Parts: sequence; C-alpha cells; structure tokens
Amino acid sequence: MTALAREQWPAAMGRVLASVAFVLVLWHLAALSVAGSYMLAGPVAVAQYLLENSSLIWRALVVTAQNAAWGFMAGNLAAIGLALIVVMIPQSRMLVASVALVVFCLPLVATGPVLRVLYGPGPGPQITLAALSVYYTTFIPLLVGLRAAPGNWFDMIRLYGRGAWSTFVHVRVMAAMPYLMAGLQVAAPAAFLGAMVGEFTGAERGLGVLTLRALRALDVEATWSIALVAASVSMLAYWAIGWLADRITPSRPEILLATTPAPVRGPMALRALRALALGLATTVIVVALWWLVMEAFALNRFFAKRPDDLWHYLVTAPNAAAHRAALWTASTATLVQVVPGYLAGLFLGAGLALLLALVPMLAGGVLPVAIALRSVPIVTTAPLIVLALGRGAVGTITIVAVMTFFPALVACIQGLRQAPGQVLDLMRLYATNPLARLWHAQIPAMLPAFFAAARLSVPAAILAVTVAEWLATGRGLGALMAMTASTSDYNLLWSAIVVVAVGAALGYGLVGLIERVVLARVAPEQLRR
Amino acid sequence: MTYFDISRRHLLSMGLGGIGTVAFGARGLQAQPTQVALQLSWLHSVQFAGSYIADERGFWAERGLEVRLDAGGPNAPVEPPVVTGTALVGISAADYTAAAVQQGAPFRIIGVAMQNNPFAIASLPANPVNEPKDMEGKRIGMPLANMPVLRTLCTLNDVDIDKIEVIPTQYDPAPLVAGEVDCLLCWSTDLPVAMYVRGIESVTMLMADFGYTLHSQTYIATDDSLANRRAELVALMAGEVQGWEAYRADLDAATDLTLARFPDVGLDRPTQIEQARRQVPLMFSDLTDANGFGWWTDETVAQNIETLGLLEMPVEASLWDRSILEEVHG
Repeated sequence: MTALAREQWPAAMGRVLASVAFVLVLWHLAALSVAGSYMLAGPVAVAQYLLENSSLIWRALVVTAQNAAWGFMAGNLAAIGLALIVVMIPQSRMLVASVALVVFCLPLVATGPVLRVLYGPGPGPQITLAALSVYYTTFIPLLVGLRAAPGNWFDMIRLYGRGAWSTFVHVRVMAAMPYLMAGLQVAAPAAFLGAMVGEFTGAERGLGVLTLRALRALDVEATWSIALVAASVSMLAYWAIGWLADRITPSRPEILLATTPAPVRGPMALRALRALALGLATTVIVVALWWLVMEAFALNRFFAKRPDDLWHYLVTAPNAAAHRAALWTASTATLVQVVPGYLAGLFLGAGLALLLALVPMLAGGVLPVAIALRSVPIVTTAPLIVLALGRGAVGTITIVAVMTFFPALVACIQGLRQAPGQVLDLMRLYATNPLARLWHAQIPAMLPAFFAAARLSVPAAILAVTVAEWLATGRGLGALMAMTASTSDYNLLWSAIVVVAVGAALGYGLVGLIERVVLARVAPEQLRR
Repeated sequence: MTYFDISRRHLLSMGLGGIGTVAFGARGLQAQPTQVALQLSWLHSVQFAGSYIADERGFWAERGLEVRLDAGGPNAPVEPPVVTGTALVGISAADYTAAAVQQGAPFRIIGVAMQNNPFAIASLPANPVNEPKDMEGKRIGMPLANMPVLRTLCTLNDVDIDKIEVIPTQYDPAPLVAGEVDCLLCWSTDLPVAMYVRGIESVTMLMADFGYTLHSQTYIATDDSLANRRAELVALMAGEVQGWEAYRADLDAATDLTLARFPDVGLDRPTQIEQARRQVPLMFSDLTDANGFGWWTDETVAQNIETLGLLEMPVEASLWDRSILEEVHG
C-alpha cells in the first residue's frame, strides 16, 4: 500500500496490471494442460459461468459479506474491549493475552455445531465464527499500539497537569490508531473466511453453501468462480481498509502485529516458575470459562462435554488407554504435516523477501500479488490445492505452507525496510558486498518481523491443517473431529479440541522462546523496549 | 449477545406452544399452529422434497402444525438439536442413530424414509465394479469415516479387504474421473448423478443388493417426545407420509417446487430431477405399497440389527418404535 503510494500511480497500476495478466496467462495454460480432468476451470470458463450466474453469485455474496461485516464489527469491538481491560489493569496483560490465544485456537470444526445448537437457525453461527476469527489479530497489534507512545508524550500531559483520562484520549488512542488499522486490515479477509465456514453449520444461502454444492456436483466452473469471487472480495476489503488507514492515520507502522516477547529479567528458575504460573492460571481460567458457558446455557451433556467427562474418558474409563491411543495417532498424523508445512512456508517467505531485497526490481510486481493472495480464503483454496497436488502429504503440507508463506513474506519485506538507512549508506560507501549487507544489517533488522509472523502463523497453520484434513484428506485430528458427525463420539471431539488448543498454545510459546534466544544474540536492542 | 436473546425468546415461544398443545390438543389450535422443527441431514435439495410438498400444500397446517425445516451441512450434525429439543424430529440413519444411542442419546427410530440403503460403489465402464469381488486389486476413494461400511460389505461377501487399496477422499467425484481411484464409495443418488449430468457414464453397484441392509434417512425422536409430544409427532409424520406420496406421484412438480423454494442454493434442474428419480426405488417398495410410506417389519429390523452388529454397533429391536406410524396409517 505505502509502496504504491510512494510511486507514481500510472507506473504502479501498470505493474499490477502486468502481474494480473501474467497470472491469467499462467492460469489459462494450466487449465489447458489438464483439460477434461475436471480439476481446473480456466479463466474463460470462469468468466462465462460468472456471466450466466451473476444474480445467484451476487445474492450469495451479499449474504456472506453481510454476516462477515457483522462478525467483523463484533470481533473488533471485542478486541478493543480486551485491549482496554489490559490498559486499565496492566497486570492482567499476559493472562488476558494467553486466554485470548487459547480461545482463538479453538477449531472451527468443533465450535460450529455447538454455536448452531445455541442459536438455532439464522446467521448467528456465521457471525460468531467471523468474529472469533478476527478478534485476536486485532487485539495483539492494538496491545502494542496502546503502549507504543513515546515517553515524552506522557511527560507532556503530566506537565499540563492533566489526568489519566487525558493521557488515554490524547496519547494512547492516538498512538494506537495506526496499529488498530493494521489489525483491521488483516481482519477483513479473516472475517469473510469465518462467515463462509459458518455456513457449513446448516445455512440456507451464501458462498459457503454454493461451494459445498459445487464440489459435490463436479461443477468445476462454479468451484473456481466462487473461489475467485471470495478471493477478490477479501482482497478488495484488504485494500479498502488500507486506503482508509492511509487517509486517517498518515504514519502507519511498518511492522505488523505482535507484542515483543516479555523482557528477559531475573534468573532462569524464576522465569521458568513465572511461565509455569501463567500456564496454570490460563488453564484454570479456560476450564472455568468452559464449564461456566456450558452450565449457563444448560447445554446437554450428550454433545457438550464438561472437563470431568473428558477426565473420565481419557483417564478413569476402562478403555481410556484406547481412547488416548486414538487421539495420539491422529495427533502425530497431523503434526507430521503441520510442522514441515509451517517451516517451509515461513522460510520460503523469508527467502523470497531476501531475494527481493537483493533484486529490488522484482518487488514491485511480487508484493501486490503476495498481499492480495494472503487474503484468499482457505476453505476455497484447500480443495483446489488438493485437487492439483493430490491427497497425500504433499497436498496438505502445501496448504499449510501457503497459509504461512504470505504473512511471512509480507512481514519480512516490511522488516527488511527497517534496516537503518545510515548503516546501509555507510556500507554502500565502503562498497560492501550486497550479501554481506544483507547478513550484517538487513537480516538482523528483519528478524523481529519474521518472528512476529512466525508466532501469528501458528494458529493459522493449525487452522489450515485441520481444514485440509476435514475437507480433503480425511486423516489426522481434523478428520477425527469431523467424524463425530457420524459417530456422535463427542468425548473424542472435545478431547481433540483440547489437544488442538493446547498444541497451538504450546507452539506459540515455543516460537516465542526461540525468538527470545535468537534476538538476544542478533538484535538485543529489540528485547529492551 | 443479542442473538442469544433471540434464541432464548424463540425457545420460550416453542415451550409455550408445547404447553398449549397439551392443554388444547393439536387439532384445537387451527388458528395458532404449534411450531416444531424438523432437522434435515444435509443442505436443501430434492432429497427432502416430500417435506417441502407437505409444507407448501398445507399437509401440516391442516393438522395444526407449523414445521420449520432446518438445513443440515457438513458441520451440522443432526443428533444434538434433536437431543436438546431444538428440533422435534431429525433425519438420521440407522447406523448414526445406533452410534448416538451407544453414546447415551435417548433416541427411537419412528419412521424409515429409505428402505434400501443408498450406499453404492461407483466406477467407470472401462474398469467396472459390478459385484463386491471386483473391488479386489482396485483403488477405492472414500472418506475414512466410512471404513466400517466397506469392511461390512467385504465381510458379507467374502471379499479380502486387504486386497483393496483405500485412498482417503472427500465426497467428490473428481478423483474417479481424473483416474486417481478406480471406484468410489458414495450414495447412489449424488456422485453418480453428478457424473451422469456431466455426460460421464458410470457403473453403480448398490450395496443393498449385496446384503448391506440398513435403514437410511430415518426419522428419529427422543423418548421424552414420544411420551409427551405424541400428537405433534403423529401430525408431523402424517404430513411427511402425505408429502412423500405426492412426491412419488409427480417427480417433476416436486423438483420444480424444490428449485423454486431454494433459488439460492445453486441447484440445477437436470441434477435434481435425476436425483429425484433415483431415490424413488430406495424409498418405495412392495413393503411400503402394502403398508404405507415409512413402514418396516420385524424382519427388516432383524436384518438391520445383523448389519449393525457387523458394524460393531449392537442394538436392540426396541430402537425402532412403530407406534407413531401405526397411528398415522391406522
């Protein structure tokens, strides 16, 4: 966005058009090469389908977009509320953030049916799922933003003798605006995806409903048309919010989206103890919330299992060992697909960003496409990627990699720009080799952004792998959770939910730990904020 | 949060409706019909056309009932809304119901829409599966959730399951057409129809013809409803029976009604009419001709119990409760 604004519009538009044309040609050739196999519809067939069914697609789009918009609002208001709690009670920061993370990691496959029973027919589940898929990615940057004000601003307010309220309104809110906008931008495509998945819980209309019907009916033109429409709308929302943000807040943060890890203080043992306490407190709160919600809505124990049901199922029941074994098998099957995909996506993203730093000529064409592609909803792409790459490990790993690749690429490109100009000038003056420049100045500057993307990609990767397993491959935890629809084995479903949520939280923590160790060596100044 | 309020109000009104029924009886409430819900097992399509007819032609209204038809979907299991009472009746299948009962759900089967199980093995004419033995040495595509179904078919027909290569796919005909697999385990009324409409000829081996006897599209209700909401259950099933008989009499009208009622699901007429045709022999038989739509006998229940036993879902004959149908047809 900012990259575009800095350039001349015609030139920038020309590049965008060139990349679009390039993609169209590639797409057309790919469609020609697999013609007759019912895997891929080319641009011509898609255009024809869209023309013939414009009113059907339009009506579905309006429904889905409406639900997404409501969810977008609800989710972001919730994020703002959470951030305000943290500002008012700073001690609660770590706890609120980790509870929010666990709730964010709850798999859609599992929350959908519960929401449907809670709401009955109507758009309730769609809106709630949209809200659930956005609040975290707004909450985290907002948290950074609310603390991002320079110290002398606070001093100024104090000098004028104003109180906490003025500090909040004039300093914190102003400082947080750019971060809020960055969060909202990422939230728009996520809300759309949430609304589409919400339609799988028994909606009567919408793009998700059309996708399901098209896949079953071997209607490739429809499948690809819906994917295209969903992707275009998500991209449009992404760009529109970016444009709005440029208008409202002239200076936008270049680094997206994550709190810096907690400062390294005190001896090892104390830190470990503190982490343990946080984990324990989070567990207690999540378990209490879980129980409370189920009791408050008097959810039937047949499908709404309480923590004690799971304890019985996994520990005290006579065949608890078999239950644990089933869960273990599925978890490892998922793990061996999600870890390589996650790593591949991250490192390919970072690698491409570095390549673009070395050959800046390419960046103008690649960046807009990458930003656009990152907003394509996974439910439409997952079946398509599996169609193209098969149902084995390769397909699933690719889906996960795609999900982590784009955020990593975008974050790393922005991170590379953070390298101090004077340092680069100095190196250039001494005719330093571009590779050395990259190694000594640009990569250290990029790492915080890289790790920010790495942490936020953990829930995204898990979402991707469970959706792929559910909709396409039929293996692993995603499939296990989907299978309960036919077996009514809700103990197994809730156990799987716990595994997924705990796994995501642990993964997130692990990445944070690695981040701290790496940054302490290469960019210690980043930890001292 | 406002949505919870709506849902609570909704539940409240349904609860009041229930009290009203007990007080005045279903027939006495012509002006203020009792509101109930029927939970369907999938997205709206001609698969449930009998219910649409019952609604449009007032088969329920004349019995003092207003039935809301709740769509299903891949992430919308039928059993939870029936257990909680959100839906009075759900459309399940004997194996799904048996599994839910094993997990403690208080269900009874009160009607059987599909006498013959719709599961089939679909293949292409160049490499056909005409009988279970033909599957040996072939690659079959199916959701892994259906493994018990394949295993049971193999046991029933002395087929060595280890000689079949299972490739996990979802419900999608593309792998067969693309040559990724040699056959698919699917419903005879959906994927083969999709291929037919696209001009791809396929061979369909109905598993019901090879011993796989299992009631499908079964109507389920809870013990509690059977004890306390009988009038509503009888009215709902009577409307269903009448609706499905009207369906059989005029498939074109049923298809047109489905298309007109749900313009936003993306249904197309060729697929829907073909599906409507193919589900007739699954739903109607000599048995239903003699006794009426939805009927079953002790003999078919015994066969079902045997199949369910092979699926490792032991059930009692009391899972089936014919008293509602007896009132409807009586």
